[in-house]
Amino acid sequence: MLETFNFRVILEYMPLYLQCFTATLWLSAVSLIGALSVGIVACAMRLSQSRIVSRISGIYIESIRSTPLLAQLYFFYFGLPSLGIRLPEAVTGILALTLNSGAYYAEIIRAGIQAIPYGQIEAGIASGLNYFQRMRFIVLPQALGLTIKPMLGQAIVLVKDSSLLSLISIMELTRAGQLLTSDRFMPAEGFLTTAAFYLVVYYILKSISGWSEKRLIFREAH
Amino acid sequence: MWSFYFSELIHSLPFFLKGLWMTVAVSGLSLIMGTIIGFIWGIIRASRNKILRSLIGAWVDLIRGTPFLVQVFIVFFILPGIGIELEAFPAAVIALTNLAACFICEIVAGGILAVPSGQREAARASGLSAYQQLRYIILPQAMRTILPPLVGQYVLLVKDSSVVSAIGVVDVTRVGWLTVQRIPEGIMVFGLVGILYFVICYPLINLSNILERRMTVVATKL
Amino acid sequence: MISFKNVNKWFGDLHVLNNINLEVEKGEVVVVCGPSGSGKSTLIRCINRLEPIQEGELIVDDMKVHDKKTNMTQIRAEIGFIFQSFNLYPHMTALGNVTIAPIKVRKVKKEEAEKLGQQTLERVGLGGKAGAYPAQLSGGQQQRVAIARGLCMRPKIMLFDEPTSALDPEMINEVLDVMVDLAKEGMTMIVVTHEMGFAREVAKRVVFMDEGQIIEIAPPEKFFTKPKSDRAKLFLSKILTH
Repeated sequence: MLETFNFRVILEYMPLYLQCFTATLWLSAVSLIGALSVGIVACAMRLSQSRIVSRISGIYIESIRSTPLLAQLYFFYFGLPSLGIRLPEAVTGILALTLNSGAYYAEIIRAGIQAIPYGQIEAGIASGLNYFQRMRFIVLPQALGLTIKPMLGQAIVLVKDSSLLSLISIMELTRAGQLLTSDRFMPAEGFLTTAAFYLVVYYILKSISGWSEKRLIFREAH
Repeated sequence: MWSFYFSELIHSLPFFLKGLWMTVAVSGLSLIMGTIIGFIWGIIRASRNKILRSLIGAWVDLIRGTPFLVQVFIVFFILPGIGIELEAFPAAVIALTNLAACFICEIVAGGILAVPSGQREAARASGLSAYQQLRYIILPQAMRTILPPLVGQYVLLVKDSSVVSAIGVVDVTRVGWLTVQRIPEGIMVFGLVGILYFVICYPLINLSNILERRMTVVATKL
Repeated sequence: MISFKNVNKWFGDLHVLNNINLEVEKGEVVVVCGPSGSGKSTLIRCINRLEPIQEGELIVDDMKVHDKKTNMTQIRAEIGFIFQSFNLYPHMTALGNVTIAPIKVRKVKKEEAEKLGQQTLERVGLGGKAGAYPAQLSGGQQQRVAIARGLCMRPKIMLFDEPTSALDPEMINEVLDVMVDLAKEGMTMIVVTHEMGFAREVAKRVVFMDEGQIIEIAPPEKFFTKPKSDRAKLFLSKILTH
């Protein structure tokens, strides 16, 4: 196979790939920021004293987690216009990715907060720290330490998930592979190059994850 | 108009159920084969054979580092290029089986490595063969760590199966996509698609949660 | 200093504190003992309202702890509380652990708090461990850091909830020594413990509890040699055989 592998075509399409790689990166980055914000809010709502607020957030999280992202993407892509809302494809794509990963981030953050032993909070209460001080100085720093790995894991998932945006004809990495397939019928060159770009992001995020774990010395206490 | 489309959708229900059956067939077949292969790979990955261990590790990294959509395209478009003609259905099952095997391999290896080394030493000391150590001592204990994430992984894989609609497998997502061309009510159509996935996934999510709770209780009793 | 008047508390149907009456004077050291589930931990956890009481009056340093309107922050800042499981903050160094409350609650300047923290760590024999994380310290050292954390708030009262029962035997004395020093300096202390040597050396009174009630209050010498109640005799015979 390798002798027929056409590197020249890849070079020829390289500007397109770089452009699409940039698109994948910024689509993912914007969705990641959105997802983290949605996740924090949804988690705060989930842990709220009010039953209704907690229930609303629960329904959101459960319905996202029990349906595929692709169905959610089509839901917005075909659904919003039927409500008379017309958005550019990229916005629809970012919306779907944000709401999808947001639900997973909510659960990751919740697991992190609930993993903090209650004794930690009691120690804070006993020394007179108020609710916000306890959250800010005791609970959140520890929860962040516990969740950094799953958070980066979800970021990897998010970058990979952004490939589905090619199916609503957004120009990004996977779309570049599809173009090479349809224009020149060179799927091997097209999709293997696409895969290589994703792997670059994967290995970078994976090594950050490994590095951050080594740095969090206090985790040994748990 | 809305009620007209609604009754149209009701008439299309048999079509949706066919799609549901296809989703169940693709993911069911892949889960069964993926579990078997994943266990074999996982056992090797937790063994002392360095070469096999890192070979599987590298393969798992390649699969985890690239989007499933790209993998599906590679199987569907590239394997024919090296002489393997594939219909959409077997291509989908091959791609999903491989994905399942990779994720399950990591879960199984993690579970085996979590069994205290003293257990293996005790088993070896009493003269059990390598196979017997694994079969009677290590795996039964490892199952406790393996089972909850394994079921959780099944949920993810059922959802990932929606991606094979991109190569023309007529699963629930594809049925939704085809239907929405005829009934332009995206919310309604993909709402139904979502409900059908929910019907499969929600019980699995609950099962995973129950297992998690039960397994931790057993673990603390020990 | 601390006064319980007809205090009652329930956990569901369980009557965990049954009509408690107890006065503790300034500078007094009181040891509370009793079988597990007798309510002794709950008793001291009520003093800084880690647990609220449901009936009766509980007055600490002239402030009404039983009154829901009382702002507890000020009272809590004046009471050091030592937990059985230390509850040190694992993401902070020893110095970070002892200075966080002075800085955030007392609004002491950081440099000042760190100076005070360093002195306090020296006082519990851990001057060299200021930069260590809890995971790098032994159980006995962790508990001494926890005591330093309490002391850094310059408390009027120190409460100890079974401070040595999670420790390996060889580490118990290093913690008790610190507590004995504190008692001799005139700190008001309530200590839930079964360490009779400690009770004999510094306690003025021993409070014996069972099933949520105070059964007996006596000076340690008298309590350990001639307990009045049968329940106390039974309890003592059990811990003495160990």
